Amino acid sequence: MPNPRGGRIRLSPRTYLIMAHLVVDHLTKVYERGKVLALNDVSVSVDKGEFLVLIGLSGSGKSTLLRCINRLVEPTEGRILLGDVDITALPQRQLRKVRRQIGMIFQHFNLVKRASVLSNVLAGRLGYVPTAASLLGSFPKQDIVRAKKSLETVGLAEKMYVRADELSGGQQQRVGIARALMQEPELLLADEPVSALDPATSHSVLNYVEEINKQGVTVLCSLHFLSLARRFGTRIIALKDGIEMFDGPPADIDKEKFREIYGEEAEEVEVR
Amino acid sequence: MIGKAKEPRPADKTKPPISFRFLGRRVASFWIDWILFGFIAYCIMYLLNYYWYTVSVAWYGTLILPSWGWPLVIIGTFEMALLVRSFGHSFGMRILGVTLANADRSRPTWGQRARYYLASHLSILPAGIGVWLNPRRPWHERWSDTYLQPIARRDEWIAPPPPWYRTVWGITMFVLIAITMTLAWHISEVSLRTLFTEADKAARIWRGLFTPDFSHLINDYPKPINDSILGALIETLFMALLATVFGALIAFPVSFMGARNIMSGSRIRMGIFWIVRGFFNVFRSIESILWAMIFAIWVSYGPFAGTLALLLHTIAALGKLYSEQAESIDHGPVEAVQSAGGGRIQMIRHAIMPQIIPPYLAFTLYRWEINLRMATVISLVGGGGIGRLLFHFKRELKWSDVGAIVISIAVVVWILDYVSGRVRERIV
Repeated sequence: MPNPRGGRIRLSPRTYLIMAHLVVDHLTKVYERGKVLALNDVSVSVDKGEFLVLIGLSGSGKSTLLRCINRLVEPTEGRILLGDVDITALPQRQLRKVRRQIGMIFQHFNLVKRASVLSNVLAGRLGYVPTAASLLGSFPKQDIVRAKKSLETVGLAEKMYVRADELSGGQQQRVGIARALMQEPELLLADEPVSALDPATSHSVLNYVEEINKQGVTVLCSLHFLSLARRFGTRIIALKDGIEMFDGPPADIDKEKFREIYGEEAEEVEVR
Repeated sequence: MIGKAKEPRPADKTKPPISFRFLGRRVASFWIDWILFGFIAYCIMYLLNYYWYTVSVAWYGTLILPSWGWPLVIIGTFEMALLVRSFGHSFGMRILGVTLANADRSRPTWGQRARYYLASHLSILPAGIGVWLNPRRPWHERWSDTYLQPIARRDEWIAPPPPWYRTVWGITMFVLIAITMTLAWHISEVSLRTLFTEADKAARIWRGLFTPDFSHLINDYPKPINDSILGALIETLFMALLATVFGALIAFPVSFMGARNIMSGSRIRMGIFWIVRGFFNVFRSIESILWAMIFAIWVSYGPFAGTLALLLHTIAALGKLYSEQAESIDHGPVEAVQSAGGGRIQMIRHAIMPQIIPPYLAFTLYRWEINLRMATVISLVGGGGIGRLLFHFKRELKWSDVGAIVISIAVVVWILDYVSGRVRERIV
């Protein structure tokens, strides 16, 4: 629940479990046998339908936090609860089932360049299709219909059979969004989705993400530009060196807080 | 604790920090230098023997030297090694990354270097006593007031180093390469004179090759061959095709087990990885011709033996190429499949395979061409194909027929090479 006064919240564990959609509980991630502390005791509670924006310098732990949530990176300590399921304690099989409900889009799009757009989007259903069928590359007819719909949602219906690397950056990211939509997720993680795009395209891509958020999907997005965060986010969390520095509505970030998060010499850049 | 470097003694604290850890490198670099000069001395002796018969050396057996020979070599190389180490940084020192310097990292003066050279005799000759008593700073270093230091890193340079031909290690390396090439020239019995003066022997061959006899292109040759050129070429082509197709089919799944990024995880998987890699490396080092010798005895002479030989080598070569390709893919789609809930097999099928299929096809086509060329000569050791005809006519010295066969082979290989090149262009 956003705290209007900003700062860290300390609710009792029971209250977390009743109200929140995703709870990150004292998450710590250490690399290289203790030399690199990527996340330092981070606790976040996210409600259903929120558009949570993560900001912070490069290397502050944003990517690590997002990847720990769907366990692409294994956390060293702490728990992550999606609804009432403890993701960190799940064995491999159940983890794959839970990952189906968590969609993810990436900074460098992570598409298979030689494959067609349709092929890439269908990869989003891999969690639902049994292994034997996917070996042959055959997806049920329903999935192909779903893929068509997803592509219509992001406005790329006519590019269905085009090779993925023949699209522009913005279009490739929209294919990534369509792929995530195929999972019919309840949570969408976005790891710097617009960092590789120009300002106008960034706006357009984030508009699509906002539409998805309005349909009830919780979104966790990490962004570099504060102006985009203010425009799209309902709540902002700032990380610095793996520690939570700020947690509250976008309006609460004034110049001083900005300097704290980004360092003394930082200047704010407008992205219009 | 064994191996742990101790702190410098208090008297040294006034000087800038210097490493003392180089006993291993010191000894190793000295041995490298000594052996290097020993090798150069050996080459010189060999060449002297060849040209001037002053020092008799039978290189394949024991070295026979006059009574003053061996001591001269040993002392001579020892002196050379010490000399280059004192007056520059030698090859061994360069490889191990150490050099002689003052406490403040400046270059030692000539006087210091001379003292180092002389002192090292007293230090090393009595069974290396100067080094063993003071492993961190031997006598010859103390008496010349120098230290063995790591070579300065690039961000510590204050001036660019001299070009290689002005450095000790550069000249040593040049001499080494020059003398090794000379030795190689002699051992391989290269003789340009023979090549040009005996040209008339080749004239017969050239005459035959340039007046090829295509009468049996489609008609069969009489016994013992019973085949036409075209028939034998088709046989060769199919040998190569069969070996390539089956080799690719078998290598494809096996290559995934030889790819580090797929097999990482449990110990059992890594064990399988090492076995598969080892298999590829061993079977690839033995060329198809050698395999053909074995198979010619196992399944008796004929095209089957040749095909099997090509098959074995193809599996190993393609497997290695395939697995290297699988290791060099973009990791992004793999992450995407994992985050969507896909398992390992789905990851291979949907993230890795689409990225590697075009290079695989390119490798396979290239392999077909290599197998065709190999198949033409594999009949030398009992395989089938057109080599059989080629060597028969060579033995009978019928150079016109040989010429016809060689030209036919060249045409077919060239066509296949051109076609496969164009196809590879299209798919990659």
